[in-house]
This record gives sequence, C-alpha cells and structure tokens, in this order.
Amino acid sequence: MTTPLLIGLLAGAILSGTSLLYATLGETLAERSGIVNLGLEGILLTGASVGFAVTVITGSAWLGLAAASLAGGLVNALFGWLVVTRKANQLASGLAMMFFGFGASALIGAPYVGAVIAGLPKWRPSWLAGLPWVRSTTLFNYDLLTWLAVPVAILVWWALFRTRWGLGLRAVGESPAAAFAAGRNPAALQYQALCIGGMLGGLAGAHLSLSLTLTWAEYMTAGRGFIAIALVIFSKWDPLRAIAGALLFGGAEALQLQLQARGSAVSPFVLEMSPYLLTLLVLLAWGGARRLAAPASLGRTFYGSN
Amino acid sequence: MKSSFGVFVSGLVLACCLAAQPALAQQPKLIIGAVYVGSVNDYGYNRSFHDALTQVARDLPGVKLIEAENVPESGEAESVMEGMIQQGAKLVVPTSFGYSDSARKVAKRHRDVAFEFAGDGDTERNFGVFFGSTQRAMYPMGVAAGKMTKSNKLGFVVGIPIGYALGNVNAFQMGARSVNPNVQTIVVVTGGWSDKAKEAAAANALLDQGCDVVSMHVDSPATIIQAVEGRGAMSIGFQSIEARALAPKGWITGLGFTWAPFFTSVAKSVMAGTFRGEAVYKGLGEMVAVGPFGPSVPADVQALVKKSADEVAKGFNPFTGPLKNNRGGTALPSGATVGADQMGSMNWYVEGVVGRVR
Repeated sequence: MTTPLLIGLLAGAILSGTSLLYATLGETLAERSGIVNLGLEGILLTGASVGFAVTVITGSAWLGLAAASLAGGLVNALFGWLVVTRKANQLASGLAMMFFGFGASALIGAPYVGAVIAGLPKWRPSWLAGLPWVRSTTLFNYDLLTWLAVPVAILVWWALFRTRWGLGLRAVGESPAAAFAAGRNPAALQYQALCIGGMLGGLAGAHLSLSLTLTWAEYMTAGRGFIAIALVIFSKWDPLRAIAGALLFGGAEALQLQLQARGSAVSPFVLEMSPYLLTLLVLLAWGGARRLAAPASLGRTFYGSN
Repeated sequence: MKSSFGVFVSGLVLACCLAAQPALAQQPKLIIGAVYVGSVNDYGYNRSFHDALTQVARDLPGVKLIEAENVPESGEAESVMEGMIQQGAKLVVPTSFGYSDSARKVAKRHRDVAFEFAGDGDTERNFGVFFGSTQRAMYPMGVAAGKMTKSNKLGFVVGIPIGYALGNVNAFQMGARSVNPNVQTIVVVTGGWSDKAKEAAAANALLDQGCDVVSMHVDSPATIIQAVEGRGAMSIGFQSIEARALAPKGWITGLGFTWAPFFTSVAKSVMAGTFRGEAVYKGLGEMVAVGPFGPSVPADVQALVKKSADEVAKGFNPFTGPLKNNRGGTALPSGATVGADQMGSMNWYVEGVVGRVR
C-alpha cells in the first residue's frame, strides 16, 4: 500500500523537523539577546552524546533527556562566560565552542557506541490511529519532545513578546546601553538567554540520539546545527515562524527520501542537495530584509555594564 | 572537521596503548596493529574486523593486538601506523579504503613490517590487499526477503551509490525475484556512509511507502535495523551479523564479514617469516557468511536460503547475461558475466529495482 506523497512528506517533515525546531528556538533566544552562537552544532552534539550516555548508564531515557538539556545549558554558560564576561569575539568563540563540542561529545560518547537503548517512549492517541494512512506512517506516533515542540515554540514566543523579561531581553539585543540605562542588567539577561537556549539545543541533540536513531555516532548531527542558524534568519527571529521553517526544512529532507522511496525520476544527487539549496535560497531571498528583523546589536560586544 | 577530534581520540587511544604496554615480562611473538576509521562497537564494518582480530589474538599463542579507533583517513593515519610499529607491530591492518596512501607510504619505510590493506591496488612484498565480495552473497539475502515480504516491496538504503553498492542491490533483487516474480526493490540513497539521522529517516520513508523488508549498504546497520524494528517491519543485516541483537523480532538474516580464518593464516605466515603480499578476494563461505535466522523465518524459507547460499559458494554467479536493466535496456548480453573484480565499475540497476543510478 502506497502512502500519498503529502502524507509521507508530512510524517517525514515532523520526524526530521523536531530537532531543528528546538535548535532554532534555542538560537533565536540567544540572538534576541544580541549573541550569535555559531557553536550550536557543538551543543546539539553534546546533547546527543550526554543524553545517550546517561540513558545507557541509568537505563532511563528521561534522565538522559534531562542530562542532555543540562549539558547544553552548561556548554552555553561557558560560551556566555567567554563572550559576556570575558567579552571575547562572538564569532571566533562560537567556532571554538563548536570544535569543543565535537571533541567533548566524541570523548563522552566513545564508551557507549553500540550500546542498545529503549529510547523515549512514543504515544499515539487511539482516536488518531484510526485515521486513514496514519497507521502505515509515523504520523502522531511521537515521543514527548515532538508532542511538545509546538507548545514550546509558543511558550518561547510568549516569553519573548508578552513578558517583562522578554522585553528586557529584546531590549538588550537591540541596544544593551539603552537597556542598561533603563535599569536592566544586560549580562544577566544574556546569560539567561544562553542557558535556556543551550538547554533547548541539548534537547534538539537528544531527540536525534534518544528517539530518531537510538544510536550515538561521532558527528551524527551532520550540519543540522548550521541549518538551524539559517532557520533563525529565515524565521526572522520569530519563534512562531520557526515552526513553519522547521517543517519546511524537515520537509526538504523528507521530500528527497520520500521521492526516492516512491521511485521518482529525479537524480538522487540532485535530491540530496535540496535542503542545502533551500538554505541558500532562503539566505538569498531574505538576505536583503535581514536588517529589518535582526536585533540591532546582534554580534556586538557590550562593554558598558562593568 | 571530523579529523580534528579523531586525531584527539586516536592520540588518546595510542597513549593508552603505550601506557598499558607491559614490561619485558612476556615478549609477544607477534604484535598486530589494527587501524579503524570508526568505533569497534558500531555493530558494523569496524566491529567485523575487531571481532576477527580479537579472535586471532586469543586463539594463536603469543599474538597481541593493539588497536586505534576513529582514525581519520588523512595523514594522521600515517603517524598512528608509525606509532604501532614503534611499539613492535610486525603486522599492520589498515581497515579502511581511505588509508591506502598513508599505508603504502609507511610500508615503503618499513620493509620488515607486513601490511594487509582492506582495499585494492598494487601489492608489494610486504603489502597485501584483501576484501570480502558481498555482491553474489546478497543473492540468498534476496531469496530470504522475497519469501518473507507480504507487500512485495523491499527497501534498500544505500550510503553512496558506488558500483559495489549497486552490485549488492542488484543481486538482492535478482535473488528476491527468483522466488517471487512480483517483487521490487526500492533504493533510497542517503549520500553518506554514516549519517545516522538520515538513515533513520530513509528507513521510515521506505516503510511509509509500503516496504516491509529493509536491507542496507551503510557502515553500520544499527540505526536502520532499530528504526525498522520499532515499526514492526523486518530487516536483513549487513557488515556484522552481531547486529541481529538489535532486532529480536524483525531480523530475518544478514551478511557479515568473517575475516578470522584469513587473518589467522596471515599471522602464522608473518610469524614463520613466509609472508608475501598478495591480492586476496573471497566471497561467501570464506570472507563472508550468512547470519543466523530470526525467529519469524519458517524452516522451508531457511532451507531455501541455505540452498541458494550453497550454490553461490560453489560458484553460481547471478551476474550472468542476459540481464535487463531497470530502464528497459540490456544490462548484460547473453552469456556475458560480471566478475567480483569488475563490481566497482557497475553502473546500472537490474530490472525490478526502483531507483536511479545518477
């Protein structure tokens, strides 16, 4: 029985898009506070390996998930110490943290390669299982991370745009000097954004190792952290648009695989490029409008607060 | 990017080897140095070598094994091999194709050290090349899949569509078709030998499209087998038959490399001083074995698969014309054959395979 392309596409897009969405939300928080974190790929890897290692040791994927989130937050706190406290260059520090994440995740994960885990439990409401095509795909058969992905995006949006904390955070991203003058503490807000963002990044990595693949392998994120950085620009630093962005990019990966699985006449080499071509197109199309949406002080170091 | 931490990890492994080297208490008769591109716990390619060499070191008295994992296919491999020779290794086994240049350079500098390189190219007095031919052995795997499928759609995840992978797919489809005329094999290419998330997504896409048996040609079958098991479908493994532990329900059977007899004879010849580098390519029954059957495979299917495997081991070549390609043309004219040494240049899919070569 063949599943209609759109259904298969949607199933695949949600499967691949979940970790992209968490990573994008994490980066959005950091960038809204004025910090570009190019180390996102390292955060994802750290989350994936720590989550897997703790799951193997404790036998509980929930503890693994918690540890992955904490590890992501900690790595970003270290990054915060570099760029907020030590006022180091954000781009260089981000790249350094990315390589740190490569090495640290390889080291942490090495003893656990090949371990077998049960992974995060999946749950499909019975009334949804009866819908046509649902039973033959992964649709609605999700772990907690996937079920909560959209609510978390809404929560991040609410925190950023409907709370006093979010107002302060965005003010720091636009003009740390003005926020400082208004009585906000830019450094504290940037640390908070980075730590929460890192925790979301850790969850993104954990989804790959604890749910999607049930394995840990070196560099298993394969560039998803960088796609998420592009997605932040695509979604104009808006957590709600990030939902659509993650679905679109998850869908690009799903499309090439679903088309091949349906025997499409398109070359697999062309299909493989599609997510990256889409990234390029997005950057081209949105590049000009970037200044309208980007936090005005994104990437700049604020020297004034201490 | 991968290389920088690979360097770090391999350095660490080497350091541990050095630290663990015992004092002059008991001098081993032969030290074997094995270089792996991944982890030996991958349930796949690297594990197949680790298992075989560990067995050799256990079975032959006085043989010691030193290993370096996650060694990148760059100049770094050269220094890892040099380090092993400094520790007294007289037999070096570079197990990844990408080590070719590094291994050949080191072998030229150390004529007294024997090399067995898992790949191809020229041989030297102290430099042998070897590999297991899996393509014909995939035919009985296809027989198993063709018998077990209910949807008549088989899935095949390919890392990079090189000739050897195409050969595996083709033999799989031909074997399946020999017992099930309506069967087709759908190929999904991921674009890398070890992109786990994409492998999981590829397996899911194949299952979405109605496949109920999935096989693969990637470095480690672990991710795909687990993804398939999680959705209640069946799998046929590749590289290491130990991967059956990952799918207690859906495992049908699989191909694994069995290098131990080969390495045993090589180790003996190095100790006896009679080693000469040769090109050794062996298939089913020698370097490749059919794995145990899973619990869902009926006895008559098992017998059929074993019979087919016996025929291949005795010399049956499924790559014998006339064969049609999957675009309606002629792939092989009547009487023509493709030998194991020509697999690398295969550039067609046989009739019944759903997929494009390029």
